[in-house]
Amino acid sequence: MTTTTIQWIALVLCATGTAVRIPGARKGHGRTVFVALVLLTVAVGLSIPPIYEAADGLLGSVNIANLLLRLALYTVFLLIGVRMAAAFDSPLARRLVVGRFGVAILALTVAATLYFFVASELQGSSTALRAFDDQDTVQQYAAVGRLYPGYVAACLVLPAVASALDRGARTIHRVACALLAGGFSLVVVFVLLRLTTLQLGAWDILLPFSAILLTVLGLCLIWLSHTLGRRRSTRANRLA
Amino acid sequence: MAVTAKAFQLWRSRIAPQDTVSDLCRVAGIKRSTLAQQLVRGKVSVPTVVAVARGYGLPAVDALAVFEGYEDLPARIAPPTDAELVSQVSHTDILRLLVARSEDRESSCTDVQMHLAPFPHRNSVRAWIEAIDPGDLRQQLAASTGVARQNLSAQLTAGRLAPEIAVQAARIAGVSLTSGLVVTGLLTPAEGGWPEDGRARALCALSDLDLVFLARDRLDVLGKQIRRAELDDGKDRAMWENLG
Repeated sequence: MTTTTIQWIALVLCATGTAVRIPGARKGHGRTVFVALVLLTVAVGLSIPPIYEAADGLLGSVNIANLLLRLALYTVFLLIGVRMAAAFDSPLARRLVVGRFGVAILALTVAATLYFFVASELQGSSTALRAFDDQDTVQQYAAVGRLYPGYVAACLVLPAVASALDRGARTIHRVACALLAGGFSLVVVFVLLRLTTLQLGAWDILLPFSAILLTVLGLCLIWLSHTLGRRRSTRANRLA
Repeated sequence: MAVTAKAFQLWRSRIAPQDTVSDLCRVAGIKRSTLAQQLVRGKVSVPTVVAVARGYGLPAVDALAVFEGYEDLPARIAPPTDAELVSQVSHTDILRLLVARSEDRESSCTDVQMHLAPFPHRNSVRAWIEAIDPGDLRQQLAASTGVARQNLSAQLTAGRLAPEIAVQAARIAGVSLTSGLVVTGLLTPAEGGWPEDGRARALCALSDLDLVFLARDRLDVLGKQIRRAELDDGKDRAMWENLG
């Protein structure tokens, strides 16, 4: 699979996953995840050259679109992190994400991202800032951008695995949790690999976008189970 | 373990030599595709054998006795014990009797008079296993049938028990071999040799003390079931409300 293909597939899946939630979101169900999916769709879209160039062109061709992509991604991880921790019933994960430490990491990441962005010379649109790879600040900017997503994903891997292994849970939820666990693990693996000097080649795109595919698929399964569950909501009498 | 297709075909050619498989299915009231599938797999399920026997007016127990693993069935039918009979009364009926006694209005001891719900009830299988358990029934059952303890518990929790395991449980406990087939709903009480009004008689014979402890145990089981169900519900809700 070429890298462009997986990016477009991820975009279509994100957009679909978002679209199916519109009716629910209008009624007030699952707005947090809906907003996260909207932002994720935007972030994925901005990773694809034609979309990025068009969007950045409107914003003055100084790669502000890339900065927006980063900030959107941080928001996605924050929102998803809080909701996942609650869904997996893991107070520890919740504390790690929105506790003092988690907020500190987020603040640090945002501040560093803004600093390195301003400190770089970024004239002319370039997707993922590939044209400016020779600048030290751009490399720092990219490294910082992976810090927060990697941290949140690492907090969620174990609770997701535990939920997937829960024998008492519905099968569809166990499958969904397994997909989510796979997605988070890929994020962690990707961030760790980028810390080494290994040349990732195509995996530089394949790993994060596979993670997006798995995560969004997992969310879609839970949405499906919720929708089906609402339809047959008549509960059996437990005292009979 | 179902019966082998070969043994089933042999038996079928004896009880209905002229009938085709289609005739057989029509008489027994089972789906043709179901039986065809079982024959292809080489294993015919026990409910199918019972349905065919009923269709041709044969005693279900005698029909089962033709097959391997069930040969001793007719010889070892006995009346059910009182504990078995009481185990097949639902908790609501037990509580109703308790209330009736407390108000000095216990009626005569027949199923109809006492408004006993037909059985099997929701917890029939587990209640029966507990009623016949000499102490280590589950271990012995797992050892002699080769079915893992975990699998056994899962069957009981789901209110099921494979026919050969139900018969083996009765063998180990020394009770009537048909009892397990009756409480799993495979045989009717009459087919399994359970007397009419037996449950009502056994229930009436309970002392006040035994009745209270019986009610307590049943409520205990019910409470655990509801707690588990609510826990599962809570998990589902957490998943749906946060990510759905």
